[in-house]
Amino acid sequence: MHSIVSRINNTSAFLSSCLMALLAAIALSSFAFTAQPQGDLAISSIKVVSSNARRYPNKKQDMAFVHFNITADLTPLFHWNTKQLFLYLEAEYANAQGVKNEVVIWDRIVRRKEDAFIKFAGKNKYMFRDISSSFKNVPPANYSLKYNVMPYVGMLTTGEAARTSEPVAFPPTQSRL
Amino acid sequence: MFTEELKAFKRLGFRHVLLQVLNFASVIASGLMIWKGLGVITNSESPIVVVLSGSMEPAFYRGDLLFLTNPAKELYKTGDITVYKIPGADIPIVHRVLETHEVKPKRSSKSKSKTQDASDVAANQRLLTKGDNNYVDDIELYQGLEWLERKHIVGKVRGFLPYVGYVTIAMNDFPQLKYALLGGLGLLALLQRE
Repeated sequence: MHSIVSRINNTSAFLSSCLMALLAAIALSSFAFTAQPQGDLAISSIKVVSSNARRYPNKKQDMAFVHFNITADLTPLFHWNTKQLFLYLEAEYANAQGVKNEVVIWDRIVRRKEDAFIKFAGKNKYMFRDISSSFKNVPPANYSLKYNVMPYVGMLTTGEAARTSEPVAFPPTQSRL
Repeated sequence: MFTEELKAFKRLGFRHVLLQVLNFASVIASGLMIWKGLGVITNSESPIVVVLSGSMEPAFYRGDLLFLTNPAKELYKTGDITVYKIPGADIPIVHRVLETHEVKPKRSSKSKSKTQDASDVAANQRLLTKGDNNYVDDIELYQGLEWLERKHIVGKVRGFLPYVGYVTIAMNDFPQLKYALLGGLGLLALLQRE
């Protein structure tokens, strides 16, 4: 009954259940933090340029170049169970064929609370193209800044920090930048 | 040392051995039932996965455990972290959604109904993914496909538990460990006295 093996067994079982309870408590505690910070997002300019498609060099493909300004204070999202923030700027639009699209054009990983005050002005990091390969007759698009809070342990949550006040139209295609 | 054990083994008799074998089998069966039950609830073929590569660093490292769900009627959004498996590729990949396109389903003669089912819309969603730690999107990983489709997706990451999955990576990297562990467990199950 009181052999070494059974002692080791009991101790390790107890320790692992303590650890599980602690992790569950930490995971649940992050539901108590319900900050929803709001920031500002403004699109300063959009250009649509005709270029060659990535896989098919003979096919034409419109690329949109979006310049934007972001100001957002996301420090409230950092609590003791926040490992990092994944911040991304997304364009939402329905194209001329009625296909609804969401395209991420910029992202940033924020790992420290000190870096969570975002003030950024720049252009899209990823290619912004439509699946019909043309932005002709595409209705105006909405842009929004969203975040994904990634915990040390537990559930992943998402939220929206900013949105353009009104849809931004695509300009006519130009042949060169 | 082993003579003692063998004596004990003989004293316990055949029935005891059978009982232990039965116990062992029931442990394995209940494990399998829990796994498959979770799969049914979450609508995912593998509701818990272990991260195998560093392409999502610093969010996920090798050996982290991810919990997935895959509701049939829910559309995927950008920023969601998906686990997908391309036919022909042997391991599932954990990457974040970069683009979604709700392509209209092709009109087939069989489905005459005007109202589209939510799961029908979801099934026609096209996705493009990218690893947080990669510079380019995943189009090269799709083995010739232009977009990722719903049928390739195993699930969406909902929960995260660090390090725990490293055991399975260690067992894959050092197969001896796996056999030692299995053999040890089997021996313990057989020799244990209640």
